[in-house]
Amino acid sequence: MNWTRLYPGWAMFAAMIGLLLFLWGMALPLAALPAPIGPAAEQFADGARITVGLTLIAGSAGVVIGVLAGLGKLSHFGPLRWFCDGYVWLIRGTPLLLQILFVWLALPTIMPEGVELSDFTCAAIALSLNVGAYNTECVRAGILAVPHGQVEAARALGLTPLQTFIDVILPQSMRVALPALANNLASLVKDSSLAYAISVVELTMVGYRVQAESYQPIPVFVTIAAIYLILTTAFTTLTAALEAQLDVGQKR
Amino acid sequence: MGSEADLRPIIEARAVGKRFGSFQALRDVSATFHEGQVTAIVGPSGSGKSTFLRTLNRLEAHDSGEIVIDGIVLGDDIRNLNAIRREVGMVFQSFNLFSHLTVLRNLTLAPMRVRRMAKAAAEEKAMNLLERVGLKTQASKYPVQLSGGQQQRVAIARALAMDPKVLLFDEPTSALDPEMVNEVLAVMRELAYSGITMLVVTHEMGFAREVADRVIFFDEGVILEDTTPEGFFSNPGHERAKSFLSQVRHGF
Repeated sequence: MNWTRLYPGWAMFAAMIGLLLFLWGMALPLAALPAPIGPAAEQFADGARITVGLTLIAGSAGVVIGVLAGLGKLSHFGPLRWFCDGYVWLIRGTPLLLQILFVWLALPTIMPEGVELSDFTCAAIALSLNVGAYNTECVRAGILAVPHGQVEAARALGLTPLQTFIDVILPQSMRVALPALANNLASLVKDSSLAYAISVVELTMVGYRVQAESYQPIPVFVTIAAIYLILTTAFTTLTAALEAQLDVGQKR
Repeated sequence: MGSEADLRPIIEARAVGKRFGSFQALRDVSATFHEGQVTAIVGPSGSGKSTFLRTLNRLEAHDSGEIVIDGIVLGDDIRNLNAIRREVGMVFQSFNLFSHLTVLRNLTLAPMRVRRMAKAAAEEKAMNLLERVGLKTQASKYPVQLSGGQQQRVAIARALAMDPKVLLFDEPTSALDPEMVNEVLAVMRELAYSGITMLVVTHEMGFAREVADRVIFFDEGVILEDTTPEGFFSNPGHERAKSFLSQVRHGF
């Protein structure tokens, strides 16, 4: 990981390009493999795209939710604090599978007439809410780690509370929170596999189907595992590079 | 001092009170500070001198009395508060430089955000100020790469970048290694002669005696002495001031 530390900008660029190339072109080398992998190459590629799509959407939404709820938990306004406490308590205290099933089966019954959610959308909502709750605690810890003197200095210079948050507190809290947020993102790549339960055809579901047709679980699941490893490696390279980028001006 | 009547009052504190729980930090403190005046605020620790300074830009909210800065009443009105903080700069004991920003960005952040200055103009001004405090070559470094004395000089330059009418110094040399005190005092001395209004909470009696126009002695939350440096150091009126001075002198 020294390389990401030395050239964080290049590492981020390389990880992103690598991820895109992989998603776009992985069917080509897979197709060259013998059965049962070769004939199902396009299915593997589609499954990986769904998995990455879920991860990127839920990962981004989860960071936004985490920042908002993390701030909410530190608010002086009681009801907002209780709401955010309750949200984290609820999500962390129940299984992710149950949350996915709830959004898929129970949410449509309480939604207004005419609003249709696709299976993919349901999975993305449930995963966003789930990772958001875990991110909340990371963001809160990050904000608490910013020395109060930084806030005083910003306020004394005339920055508004919002400017103080955006220019001083958020960047400083993120470099504390980022390793933990990266951890949650790596979990999310794999947690997205639970979307198979609501018939989203993501990577694990593809593997299950292909082995069911071919009766050859070993090559199929090894391939699926390899794809997951490549995906998590790309995401962790990305976050490690981001960490190095934010790490400037820190004592070692 | 003789021409005080001609000078415009810039800070007026009337019967200011502040308590922390059961501890009465300030008791009916009244004082008026005039434009261009350099005031040294001295006293034993816990006497309320830092608290008084911090009420003047509302880093601490006063409980009773009234504070008027440049004609604006200091209170809960956020617009008044932002207006006041633009005009009152502050230098802290522990510098409080923004650790995630370079020295240059530390100086340009508030002028760009609060005064809406263009980036090029803000940077030009910042470089001039860095030159003034002798740190022009350090502009692209991060605070953690500088010595304590250098950091405090940057902090002074950062406060000056907002063109404040008043500069508050809260024990600016107390956190410094002894060999770095003089470089900071030299910058403050130069500032004092430039005509800016300064309130300096300090334990540097040499600085108070040489540079200040006025010395205020705090004890147990009240102003016991408010006089000229000559008057205070050669002929203190109160027993408490005498014993404080003798203790400080024995320290030398």
